[in-house]
Amino acid sequence: MEKVFIDGLSFAAPLFIMAMGGIYSEKSGVTNLAVEGFQGFGAFIGALTAVLLMPSMGDGSQAVIYIAMLAACVGGGVYACIHGLLCVKFRANQVISGVVVNILAVALTTFLTSAINKVLMGGSQSSNKFILGVSDRFTVPGLSRIPVVGALFRDMYPFEIVILAIAVIAWYLMYKTRFGMRLRACGENPQAVDAAGGNVARTRFIAVMISGALSGIGGICYAYSISANFSPNIYMGYGYLAIAAMIFGNWNIPSTAAVCLFFGLAKSGGYQLCLSMGLSSNYSDLFMMLPYILTLLLLTFFSKKNHPPKAAGEAYDAGKR
Amino acid sequence: MEDYIVEMRNITKRFPGIVANDDVSIQVKRGEVYALLGENGAGKSTLMSILFGMYQPDMGEIRIEGQPVRFRSSNDATAHSIGMVHQHFKLVDNYTVAENIVLGVEPMKKLAGFLPCVDLKTANRQIAELSKSYGLEVNPTDKIEDLPVSVRQRVEILKMLYRKAEILIFDEPTAVLTPQEIEFLLKIIDGLRKSGKTIILITHKIEEIKKIADRCAILYRGRLVDVLDVRNTTTQAMANLMVGREVDFNPHKNPAAFRDTVLEVKNLTVRNASKFEVVKNVSFRVRGGEIFAIAGVAGNGQVELADAIAGMTHIAGGEVKLCGQNITDLPIRERTEAGIAYIPEDRQGTGVFLDFNLGDNLALRKYYREPFARKGILQFHQFETYANDLIDRYDIRCGQGRKTSLRSMSGGNQQKAIIAREIEEHAKLVIFVQPTRGLDIGAIENIHRQILAERDRGTAILLVSLELDEIMELADTIGVIYNGQLLKVADASTLTSHDVGRYMMGVKEA
Amino acid sequence: MRKTQENHRFAALLDSEKWSGISIPILSLVLSLITASVMLLILGKNPLTAFLSFLQGSGFVPKASYGGGAGMLTDFFTFLNVLAPMMLASLGFIVAFRAGLFNIGISGQMMASGFLATAIIGYSGMNAWAAKPLVILVGLVAGGLLGAFVGFLKYRFNIHEVVSTIMLNYIISYLTGFFINARFADPLTRSMKICSNEARLTWTNVQIAGMKCSVPLGILLAAAAVVVVKFIFDKTVFGFELRAVGRNPLCAKYTGIKVGRRIVVALMLSGMLAGLAGVTYYCGYYNTIVPKALSSMGYDAIAVALLGNSTPIGCIFASVLITIFQNGSNYMSSTLGVAKEIASLITGILLLFSSCGGYFRYLAHRKLEAARDAADAAAKAEPQREPAVPASGMKEDK
Repeated sequence: MEKVFIDGLSFAAPLFIMAMGGIYSEKSGVTNLAVEGFQGFGAFIGALTAVLLMPSMGDGSQAVIYIAMLAACVGGGVYACIHGLLCVKFRANQVISGVVVNILAVALTTFLTSAINKVLMGGSQSSNKFILGVSDRFTVPGLSRIPVVGALFRDMYPFEIVILAIAVIAWYLMYKTRFGMRLRACGENPQAVDAAGGNVARTRFIAVMISGALSGIGGICYAYSISANFSPNIYMGYGYLAIAAMIFGNWNIPSTAAVCLFFGLAKSGGYQLCLSMGLSSNYSDLFMMLPYILTLLLLTFFSKKNHPPKAAGEAYDAGKR
Repeated sequence: MEDYIVEMRNITKRFPGIVANDDVSIQVKRGEVYALLGENGAGKSTLMSILFGMYQPDMGEIRIEGQPVRFRSSNDATAHSIGMVHQHFKLVDNYTVAENIVLGVEPMKKLAGFLPCVDLKTANRQIAELSKSYGLEVNPTDKIEDLPVSVRQRVEILKMLYRKAEILIFDEPTAVLTPQEIEFLLKIIDGLRKSGKTIILITHKIEEIKKIADRCAILYRGRLVDVLDVRNTTTQAMANLMVGREVDFNPHKNPAAFRDTVLEVKNLTVRNASKFEVVKNVSFRVRGGEIFAIAGVAGNGQVELADAIAGMTHIAGGEVKLCGQNITDLPIRERTEAGIAYIPEDRQGTGVFLDFNLGDNLALRKYYREPFARKGILQFHQFETYANDLIDRYDIRCGQGRKTSLRSMSGGNQQKAIIAREIEEHAKLVIFVQPTRGLDIGAIENIHRQILAERDRGTAILLVSLELDEIMELADTIGVIYNGQLLKVADASTLTSHDVGRYMMGVKEA
Repeated sequence: MRKTQENHRFAALLDSEKWSGISIPILSLVLSLITASVMLLILGKNPLTAFLSFLQGSGFVPKASYGGGAGMLTDFFTFLNVLAPMMLASLGFIVAFRAGLFNIGISGQMMASGFLATAIIGYSGMNAWAAKPLVILVGLVAGGLLGAFVGFLKYRFNIHEVVSTIMLNYIISYLTGFFINARFADPLTRSMKICSNEARLTWTNVQIAGMKCSVPLGILLAAAAVVVVKFIFDKTVFGFELRAVGRNPLCAKYTGIKVGRRIVVALMLSGMLAGLAGVTYYCGYYNTIVPKALSSMGYDAIAVALLGNSTPIGCIFASVLITIFQNGSNYMSSTLGVAKEIASLITGILLLFSSCGGYFRYLAHRKLEAARDAADAAAKAEPQREPAVPASGMKEDK
């Protein structure tokens, strides 16, 4: 039972930060289906940095993880510029741009991983994985002794704390600062921002970059917890799960956090159920489907009532009146 | 040398395919109310958008208080004390009044000594004070989406005043107001003038200019025609200059010859997406040969009413009958075939396919049946013949005949195409919603003539319009809608525009 | 002065109604090839050799030598085997796209129909005359049902089809993976047991001109599909309504078209084509399904569709092009020593430039307008000349 909480939280946290990335982008008016690609590319850069640093810093070093997270953040942000350029400057269809970015991310990272591995390992053998190892866990003293809920504070990955901190900062930025106020206005009525002297294009572009940076962190966290490596398997569709979470959460940070937690608990709950029933490992595949089925089910109940930001999905045309 | 606070010299501005301003020069004196008169498309809005820094002129210069300036954005204009209230409000619906007003110049405070934070408390206080001092009552914490149009306009005005604007530009401010609200606005403008502000008023309504303006510049097709002293010029003279020819103010309306009831609406109720009743228990009837006009301030349910009768919106309660046949639950195509034609408010978004060509658009009501389609296969030569016929008879200007893309046609010609298509259905009921919005006087006269011709042919006409003049000119019967209810239904000859104005504001029977 | 004239002719080519359907994709292609060449040069390889080896790998240009029994035609027919499902898949995307919908779930629909066809027909031992048509039928039905389901979700619950199709992709992937591992796995290869030769949609070991070839039935299906799709969109009432829904659902509703139903049908058609692609792919040349490995073809089909300007004819050329890259990548990789993933990378870059197509056209349009206005201004500068009234292409202004 404890395991359900622990695993659920460690799945929910990276999902949540990716969903927040989606929120930033969409609230500024840019439909963002590219989270999957952003997290993959961010994870790639993070993993690459880790692999380059591990020989000098030691294989088990935890500091490498933090540096990798930073690299993933930057990598995701830089890669997101493609989506930003396509949507804001080139006025491409934002859904297509998202799908394009995702496809390109898979192709680019797979190719580069193989090519770089060739260089690193020398010779004709090449693998499409960067081996990373798993992040250490730690337990919060005191809080973890509370019955039932204390499980949430046990065996945590440090990145969960990092993500929590970033979430608070991101919330503050969005709702309390000048930048955030203008960003949200860009998603509702960009004409108003333009008339008030704000730069809609630049705000949206920055929002997309933030979205990429946040997603990149999510990706590298998954690489360090679920897969213990970077490979084409990083593209598990969790980026899309994050988008679905954002839709249920009605583009609202606290609600989205709750939805992500729910997803996480459902996934880990399903897996524990499978284990406890003593089914063969093949059956675990069935339980892997759980998050996706759950998404579809919840979407049927919630899609009708939800209100995306009014101006999302349309390129801003200054000439329209 | 006169004391000109604003001078625009030799301004020329081109957009793809059109010269919006052609070598226009105006001089505005400090503290006067300066009107820019011209019909739709004359270039008034473009000229003022240049003054407000939203566009850069291709040629010419601007001088503020004698100093030449260059505005690269509206921020530059605001820094020179220029403010603008646009015709389409630039407000964020789910923000409060205060948030909208301070957007761009937000007061800041430091939380815990170092975290930057928008100071909404100060903003609320400042706006409450500001609104009181200018007589523009607003509640800073109300959300825009909950406010009526006239209050939203006050927010737009306060936006300018918060930024300490001295030169205030109003772009068609009275388009969305009732006569009483217009009076109130003109009083506000007078007050602003008295407190030393300079006001530039863009409008196509001559009566308002006569009431409030000192001088008036007349623009025609991008060029400046003349600058007149308002007191010494007649309304007729201004109208003629605005249109470039003698204007006939009298509509030639034949006496009424009503036939049997065509449209019968009983207890109609329509709900919007939030389950709110936007049309409440509305009942009325329209006879053949009658123009029934629905007057009302924008947003009181008139468009939803028209949509419901046409089938675009679901009907929550009540019934609609066409010549005795109950059409309440009929899908749109069957209503069209039963005899309803609909000219919608949103020409480009709903009335046509911008990306299809003219021929396809003209055949939208017919493409699926003989002779336009045989066994599901389209007969394109039929499209061609039909389109050529309509282009000819309705004088639709298009570059390449039936192959012209709708997007490349002017607004007036797009509307001509829609009207042609719908009238050719020879329907029993034609619904017009805002048919002359944004069109020049020539096009407006043409459309009014068509509406009257259809009426004389015995068609029942339901006209929804925000232009009170249009309603008073055309209507046989007027129904005034307020908050989703028809407050008053009466013969047009028994109502003055002032009466209608009062009903539009919600005043019930006196 | 001459340079500006040439620039204008180029811009006119990009913007014209008649030629933009071809000129813009060609521009995207050229830009992608240039980018790919630059990447190859950075890796120290000769781009021309690379492109040549792509063509050799696909049987368009002869190789230096061939293995036993094989020849250029062998490679060409292999190429056709990959081309057929690619064309069908991209037609599937195009049908949905023209109706304004994004069917990103083609990979899943392919796998589902391939799996069902193999499981139901492939092991049944029916003879070829019965088996092959039935396989095609299963493909159509499975794909069609999935597509209709996605359409229903959108119509009834307003679920965006991008999210639902992707969710379905993963669900299908795990579900079929589970069943394959549970019942249908070949113990040696760990993937699904191959289906019978009778049911297979490709005839293997056919001798043509002395070379061993695999002849795909799917290529005929693809050709027929192109004709049918083109006919539907250009000539029928139904196609007209689909295009209307894709362009402006609100105006389509106003016209009386039942938008919701058209959406479901459009996605059903799209799914049917994806189903055909699936049986052609999994019961044809490849003849096996690796559990949980969705084919990337469903996503590459998007690149093909966009490159081909979303038309059936354009799709033919675009799929030929991209299949040359995909198919020739193995040979290119072995001769040049570049990771074969570069083919997907080139496809990705092609996709990137194709999606900018609208922007290229917009730039060209702006340039032409500026030139026209400059010419007008110059004409006006001439003394005593009455300038013409602006053309009817007026934008609605106040």
